[in-house]
Amino acid sequence: MLKIQPAELKVIAQYIHDISGIYLDQSKSYLFETRLSSIAEEHGCNSYQELYQKARKDAGKRIERQIIDAISTNETLFFRDNGPFELLKHKLLPEIIDLRTPSSPRLKTNIKIWSAASSTGQELYSVAMVIKDLIGNQMDQFNFKLLGTDISDSAIQQASYGKYNKFEIERGLPRQTLQKHFTLFGDSWKVKDELRAMVNFRKLNLMLPFGGLGKFDIIFCRNVAIYFTLADRKKLFNKLADSLADDGFLIIGSTESLTGICPRFVPKRHLRAIFYQKKT
Amino acid sequence: MNNLTILVVDDDPVIRRLLEQRLAKEKYKVLLAEDGYVGNETLASNHVDVVLTDLMMPGDVGGIEVLEFAKELERNIEVILITAHSSIDTAVEAMKKGASDYLEKPINFTELFLRLEKISTMRGLVRNAQDLRQAMDVTESTAAETIQNLEITAASLQSHIDSIESIANNHELDFAERVAQILKNIQSIR
Ligand SMILES: C[S@@+](CC[C@H](N)C(=O)[O-])C[C@H]1O[C@@H](n2cnc3c(N)ncnc32)[C@H](O)[C@@H]1O
Repeated sequence: MLKIQPAELKVIAQYIHDISGIYLDQSKSYLFETRLSSIAEEHGCNSYQELYQKARKDAGKRIERQIIDAISTNETLFFRDNGPFELLKHKLLPEIIDLRTPSSPRLKTNIKIWSAASSTGQELYSVAMVIKDLIGNQMDQFNFKLLGTDISDSAIQQASYGKYNKFEIERGLPRQTLQKHFTLFGDSWKVKDELRAMVNFRKLNLMLPFGGLGKFDIIFCRNVAIYFTLADRKKLFNKLADSLADDGFLIIGSTESLTGICPRFVPKRHLRAIFYQKKT
Repeated sequence: MNNLTILVVDDDPVIRRLLEQRLAKEKYKVLLAEDGYVGNETLASNHVDVVLTDLMMPGDVGGIEVLEFAKELERNIEVILITAHSSIDTAVEAMKKGASDYLEKPINFTELFLRLEKISTMRGLVRNAQDLRQAMDVTESTAAETIQNLEITAASLQSHIDSIESIANNHELDFAERVAQILKNIQSIR
């Protein structure tokens, strides 16, 4: 494996931070080597400095994309931590439906939900399954917009395809849920078309301006800010507050905290889960 | 100490004995079966890590059937087939059905021990990964509980600080009144 030189560590760490916001500890050189050496080899580079230069010059940004795929941790599973999805089913969805149902029965109820670091899609599909199971055959009264975004191209690609191997399926999906929402596809499983039709995935770097995404009623931003510096986390949650409806809900990872990060959010507890709302 | 249990299925008593001796010498635990039928019975009633089975055996239950039965029973069982050179095609077919490997007769023991060691290492790694994941899950859920409690506590303290600040700044109250209200507010925190 290609060894990284001390002088290169700083340059590469800075570069990774610039393109993704991800902060890698420079004292852990193995982190860089295990993740980047094969990319360096593939592009015939004899040093990480050379890889860095090649990546910067690469107009198609293919190397940059490869580096992002290699350093981002895509670890995720269906119904991760469970609590947030129980919360969604028993509190957040019923409340937001109440708030958003128009007085005229001829109008549909519009609800927007965002999985802000959706990885390979399990989080957003879990949300979609909760919605389908809750609403059942009254779906035509609603207009759900479910958006998943991630910085990793390969993650977005898998999410859009909606295909999962048996190891991904075994983690977190009860048998009944699997049979209801997936179909066997070779030795993998694919989400059914009606579930797939509820969601959209697209690439977005959370470090950059969000563009015209509009306001969401519920935002999931779980297990991604942990890879950012404190300063970047503050900026991120501030932007998320701007993107959340005033009466909307934010859910973060089960071991994350907003104390000292974003005073615009107040935590609230329901059952065994915590959610955040904007301070009024 | 090798902790794998190996089931040898072969109708040839000479090969059975030979395998039993060599494997036992390497400290593997060995079970023996003289045909596929007995092999399947042994599988059903014992914990087995690796099956070492002859491909061609007299009777209805050959190596392929033993393989299928073993995989049905427990996906994690590794099956190594022993074949004559002439039936290598069948052995390759068997790999598609989930056999981990095949060995040609006469058995090359160095090769066999190498495969078994690999299986043993692999099992150790999988086991380690499972243990780590489980340990991580426990740590994570304990941490989550602590963090959530702290998060709620911090938020409630913050709201006390906010109201104390507004009392302190409330110029409609005289000084003594403000102190009294602030003290009352502080006492309500505990
Ligand atoms: C550990 S996964 C979390 C997935 C899911 N939210 C969950 O909790 O299971 C982290 C994801 O964040 C993505 N990510 C990292 N930096 C990002 C950035 N700057 N913008 C958007 N996504 C990012 C990674 O590509 C990865 O898929």
